[in-house]
Amino acid sequence: MTRSVRLAARQALLEQRSFWRSAEYALFTFVFPLMILLLIGAANVGSDLPGTHIKNTTVFVPGILAFGVIVAAYVNLGSKVAVLRHDGVLKRIRTTPLPSAAYLGGLVASTVATAICITVCTGLIGWLAFGASPRPGGLLALAAGLTLGIVCFATLGLAISSVITSAESAGPIAYASFLPIAIISGVFDPTFSGLPQWLSRMVDAFPVKALAQLLEGAYTVRPFPAWDLVNLGVWTAAAAGFVAWRFRWHG
Amino acid sequence: MTAGLAVQVRDLQMSYGPAQVLRGVDFDVRYGEVFCLLGPNGAGKTTTLEILEGFRAPTAGTVRVLGLDPAVDAARLRERAGMVLQECGFPRQARVGELIETWRSYYPSPRPLADLLEVVELAESRNTQVRKLSVGQRRRLDFALALAGDPELVFLDEPTTGFDPEARRRCWAAIENLRRLGKTILLTTHYLDEAERLADRIAILRAGRIELAGTTPEVAARAGLATRISFITPAALRRGQVVLPDGVDLVVRGPLSVCHTENAAVTLRRLLEWAHRHGLGDLDGLAVTAPSLEDSYLQLTGAGAENP
Repeated sequence: MTRSVRLAARQALLEQRSFWRSAEYALFTFVFPLMILLLIGAANVGSDLPGTHIKNTTVFVPGILAFGVIVAAYVNLGSKVAVLRHDGVLKRIRTTPLPSAAYLGGLVASTVATAICITVCTGLIGWLAFGASPRPGGLLALAAGLTLGIVCFATLGLAISSVITSAESAGPIAYASFLPIAIISGVFDPTFSGLPQWLSRMVDAFPVKALAQLLEGAYTVRPFPAWDLVNLGVWTAAAAGFVAWRFRWHG
Repeated sequence: MTAGLAVQVRDLQMSYGPAQVLRGVDFDVRYGEVFCLLGPNGAGKTTTLEILEGFRAPTAGTVRVLGLDPAVDAARLRERAGMVLQECGFPRQARVGELIETWRSYYPSPRPLADLLEVVELAESRNTQVRKLSVGQRRRLDFALALAGDPELVFLDEPTTGFDPEARRRCWAAIENLRRLGKTILLTTHYLDEAERLADRIAILRAGRIELAGTTPEVAARAGLATRISFITPAALRRGQVVLPDGVDLVVRGPLSVCHTENAAVTLRRLLEWAHRHGLGDLDGLAVTAPSLEDSYLQLTGAGAENP
């Protein structure tokens, strides 16, 4: 057990080193959300949500936090595993005595590290540039929301990796499968509204808005997010089932 | 089963649906030898190897690798056997040294990094990113990773397929280094020169069966190929002043006289007696050519004409 943990940690270290060495991964995972934060945040600074005294940025910053988590956990892990499988790296791992759990654990641990990094940067920029900070006593909700979000989207990432069949399409498929949902979930625009009812219901069913609302609860007072918790739980369970059913070590 | 054998394969059969890929394969690999499974594409080499590596369970037959049943004890086997698969990628951004270090951490008693780099001749590439390596260098990195746990046995599946001559030469040198470390090596190839150059013993696998097994000369001999004896046709023979020897299948092809025999010593003695009797001296240009591995392989696989 301790050996597996040690091996997983070592694997995570190698993944982190490789991640920061790779311009494309680091750029898209890290710079993209922060850029959006700064650009759209600048356009919204100072204004309030229509009909309230809540500042736009108080809702927008947790939205970008959710976006960062999804990019790091879902897009990044999903495309990474698809590429590893396509390149035959997963197959090679199977020739060694490294336990599968230690290897996957290492990949996920590295993903968690990246997600934490990006969350800290987003939170700091949101606070320093736009004055958005968690409400008093909101840190626990923030930590819980981030943990659930990372677990849910990392599992979804492993699931989508089994659907991707080529290394070239890995990034595009991972992005294309969530970006439209993120947009209509209002992650980039706190005033986003006016969706037809059926579309609005669909958005509620996806986990993107659920995560954004969970994190929003750490910044402003919201009712207890029972539905959002159920939503993330169901998606995590469904993704885990799909991974158990479809995960392959070779392409 | 015998403890003295690194690999023991008995009546191994494998079917994918109705397609029978292995039809009863038997062979042994002894500790410390380089054993080569030679055969054309589709003969079942990779399937055999995958069963020995514990990636597939056979339809029938028994297999022991380092005394273990790979289908049951795959995890323990992987600590003691290094595997180089036919095609297998590397993490794109990893550097040679750190990748080997990571692999070393998987094993209970790994070989030192410097030693691994030296064996596969990659010491100067230690800090190079894997994606910048040439095809041949990548293959040698494969070897280093397979060797990281200091295994007793190394599987190499078609180690030089598609390589240019220089890359092959360096690859072979690395395999020679493995041999010098005393590793048992089981390699597959469809290149004759590779088998002839590297292997202590060879088994020719064709259409799911071992056709022949043994050392290179044994394989050639067992293929039932004749030894070729030739000499420059003496002038007297060419002019028809001498009758052909009895009991020898001698053919005069203009300036060269040739005969094929399965008993070179007897034929040679008869020829020399005949030459002596007719005053032909020691037969100028006398040459005795043992059948080569290539001859036996081509005959077995039907890829070429027999005894040109």
